[in-house]
Amino acid sequence: MDPMTTSRRTFLKFAVGVPLTGAALAACGSSGPSQAGGTGGTSGSGGTYWYLSGPPGEKIRTDTVNRFNKANPDTKIKATTFQNDAYKAKIKTAIGAGQAPTIIWGWGGGGLRSYVQAGQVEDLTSWFADNPDVKDRLFPSSFGAATVDGKIYAMPAETVQPIVLYYNKKLFDQVGVQPPQTYGDIMDLVPKFNAQGIAPFSLGGQSRWTNMMWLEFFFLRLGGSELFQKVMTQKGAWSDPQSLKGLQMAQDLVKANGFVKGFSSITADSNADQALLFRGKAAMMLHGSWSYGIQVSQGGKFVPEGNLGWMNFPPIDGGTGDPADTVGNPGQYLSISSKASAAEKETAKKFFKTAVLSPEENKEWIDTGQVPISKGTESQLNASKDKDFLNFVYGIASKAKNFGQSWDQALPPAAAETLLDNISKLFQLNITPQQFADNLNKVTGQ
Amino acid sequence: MVLPALLFFVAFGVIPLLGVLGLSFTTWDGIGAIHPSGLTSWRETLKDPALPHALWVTFLIMALSWAFQTPMSLLLGVFLAGRQKYRAALAVVYFVPLLLSSAAIAITYKALLDPNFGLSSGLGIGFLAQDWLGRGRLAIGVLIFIVSWQYIPFHSLIYQAGVRQIPTSMYEAAQLDGAGRIRQFFSITLPQLKYTIITSSTLMVVGSLTFFDLIWVLTAGGPADATRVLAVQMYIKGFQGNQMGPASAIAVILVLVGLGLALLLRRIGGDARESQMEGA
Amino acid sequence: MATTLTPDTDEATAPHRVHTGGPRNLRQWNWPGGLAGWLWFGIVIIPIYWIVITSFKTSANYFDANPLKPPTDLTFENYKLVIQEHFIRYFVNSLVVTLGAVVPAVLASFMAAYAIVRGRGRFLWSCNALFLAGLAIPLQATIIPIYLIIIRLKLYDTLLAIILPSIAFAIPLSVLVLSNFIRDVPNELFESMRVDGANEWKTLWNLAFPLSRPALVTVTIYNGLIIWNGFLLPLVLTQSPERRTLPLALAAFQGQYTVNVPAVLASVVLTTLPILTLYVVGRRQLLSGLTAGFGK
Repeated sequence: MDPMTTSRRTFLKFAVGVPLTGAALAACGSSGPSQAGGTGGTSGSGGTYWYLSGPPGEKIRTDTVNRFNKANPDTKIKATTFQNDAYKAKIKTAIGAGQAPTIIWGWGGGGLRSYVQAGQVEDLTSWFADNPDVKDRLFPSSFGAATVDGKIYAMPAETVQPIVLYYNKKLFDQVGVQPPQTYGDIMDLVPKFNAQGIAPFSLGGQSRWTNMMWLEFFFLRLGGSELFQKVMTQKGAWSDPQSLKGLQMAQDLVKANGFVKGFSSITADSNADQALLFRGKAAMMLHGSWSYGIQVSQGGKFVPEGNLGWMNFPPIDGGTGDPADTVGNPGQYLSISSKASAAEKETAKKFFKTAVLSPEENKEWIDTGQVPISKGTESQLNASKDKDFLNFVYGIASKAKNFGQSWDQALPPAAAETLLDNISKLFQLNITPQQFADNLNKVTGQ
Repeated sequence: MVLPALLFFVAFGVIPLLGVLGLSFTTWDGIGAIHPSGLTSWRETLKDPALPHALWVTFLIMALSWAFQTPMSLLLGVFLAGRQKYRAALAVVYFVPLLLSSAAIAITYKALLDPNFGLSSGLGIGFLAQDWLGRGRLAIGVLIFIVSWQYIPFHSLIYQAGVRQIPTSMYEAAQLDGAGRIRQFFSITLPQLKYTIITSSTLMVVGSLTFFDLIWVLTAGGPADATRVLAVQMYIKGFQGNQMGPASAIAVILVLVGLGLALLLRRIGGDARESQMEGA
Repeated sequence: MATTLTPDTDEATAPHRVHTGGPRNLRQWNWPGGLAGWLWFGIVIIPIYWIVITSFKTSANYFDANPLKPPTDLTFENYKLVIQEHFIRYFVNSLVVTLGAVVPAVLASFMAAYAIVRGRGRFLWSCNALFLAGLAIPLQATIIPIYLIIIRLKLYDTLLAIILPSIAFAIPLSVLVLSNFIRDVPNELFESMRVDGANEWKTLWNLAFPLSRPALVTVTIYNGLIIWNGFLLPLVLTQSPERRTLPLALAAFQGQYTVNVPAVLASVVLTTLPILTLYVVGRRQLLSGLTAGFGK
């Protein structure tokens, strides 16, 4: 006898009831309009804009949007913020599902290229041609990462972030040595600091891109920007003698105990690596220019008392690279979704023209210790309390003939992942330079 | 009666799974159009040496965490079932790790394990300043410890409940027969806990397969790929490498592995309907 | 060794029960268990202690020499920051989502488990196999199709979007645990219900439900915790700050280059306190629910 047959109908009735209870509960909670479908925004012709949350940038970006909305009350832009990692996941799923915001915040380079190949972003080349005043007020070096196959697909924005070699002046005085002028000097300094129980270099190795900064500078100084670019675009370039030399130098530095003990466990995002510098446990550190602001806010008296020194990465003897070249983030990039409505695209372009990197926004960036990619901000920089550092960064950014974009942003995502992976193994001394080269050759230069 | 559960599961579990299966036969970067591509993604995935490595890491972590958690939970469960004075207060404290989200736990441990600013400098114990998350083997050990830290409270709760169900009369009878404490443990406690062990183990093993949050925030699969379990490999391939096709293939493999394990555990657990209360 | 039984004053016990709780002498003299217990206590309390004291440190002092020392200048700024960041709203959202998902999930799984154990036939057998297979479905893998389904259903950016898939993913394991448990209910009890003229529905609620309390409690807790702390579903399926749940709040303190660790920890503490309170208050019910065995 089947005990089930009798009350199946009753059960079916309840089958609907149970989920409905849940739905009712939920409906009480989700008050307000629910935005579903569409192109990610329902604010008329204003459009939507997604960007990163958190200090230092969030407030500045929000202020810019507010200024625009005040001046354009009929075409307001609706802003939504996301934390860094969350943003990376969300923007991809949104674009993939046709739900992208009107204005897409990004890092340019390989990521932008993947959007372009999928036909998801607007070609802005002609717009820039029609609006030369916009183009001219920005650093020329910032357009490299916005350009794909000769066409411009993004508006450069925000700040320039070269990689800087920081050092602790107090520790240098204590040990009685001078800041390095060449890479050879660095190798001499390593045993001297180790003998005093001070780590020569702080490094947040777990974050991987931190290790990558070292390789980038090795390549840049050894073989100039030709080598730097070649390894991304030309097949087999990683096996070049200069490339292999650069890879070997990294391992030599690790073996010489150039980096703080346990560096592979230290992450950059908790600032543990920067803390090593300003707490006097490490003598030097290679890091992005944004680290300055963090050291000011978290380092107590370290920076105000003038203990923080900075310089561009020194040249390597026998290398052909220009010592003025630099690498890092030439800017951040705003693209317009190709799926947005015509009105929304117009609003976005107006936003770029009138609100992005306005003098007010420039000042806000400068106040946080960063250099916006706008030309002609010298007087504002000099008025800032951080003028020494800011002028230094401005100098590097404007004088560098070549500003390379960080490999992990410039490469397409799949290759970038392989790169970071192998870099991690290289610094762990798990693979040889030759193996590294073989692995990378398989994914680059296609 | 089974319909509501079935409905939900089919709608939000099975259909997406079929979707993933379908995706594994395509090439898609997650952004543009989806291109059906037959077996390309599968071939690429099966040839990738990262796959067997990920499988190995997954099983290693699964087995080791089971081996560590089960005895500890058993011991703690029996302990908590007893009558020690501070048991109630202890039980409250024990439970807290379970209430924390995996992300919170990962952040906490990352800070505590920092060789310069973490526990080692806090307690002044130099030995604790190892390259915990920087060396492959150590990272795996650390991961297992943290997972256990998080889930042992739950499993000891299960065991505690299980122990409480064992009738004292069984022990009394054994005692009369002259059996010592240890003998009682192995001959009575353990067998009576059979179903509890199976339930707890199923939860542990299957849970560890889809483990992601903790590992991702703690090591992101590192150092290099030492803790890169299947789920992490899938996420990296799909969301970071923009290769949805191979990522979907990995997902399908994950499901097949899980299915196999679940069936295996089912076999061990038996379909028997006899009550464990016989002989009491 | 004494074998007199003293009533367990700590817990509610049903009268006329077989005396349970493990062997007497094992309880009185369980030194390996005791040692493990105290050792584990130490292991558990240190990170918790760290979380609490660090949540009172400023992010500037955060790297002070000894992480285990209490802060020299205690500050509530982190807590203020967290609450300013719409903590209450996130909390309510999390509550709605958790209740809205766990209750239907457990009920539906219970009914399904009962049907599978008590019923016959291929349909039920294949349902069971289907649920088993579902045990290993990784959430991260299916997130994109789920996202697409939610968009089509026009549920994007609602709490329902989080609730529905959560129910689906809670079902396989719950069915497994519950069916294992129901299997243990002696057949005679079912027989006697049938003799009394009860239909399946009555048997379900009047017999199986109360007897399955331990498993129901286990499953409710397990799913509740997973959903309360769930991160991926809210992340992908909601967008506006009004719909955010607590785990996303954690992410709010991770800036572009840096993490405000003390603030993150303050939000962790605030997220955990409600459940902790619930646990302390409800511990007795919890344990009695878990330990209600079969009366004999």
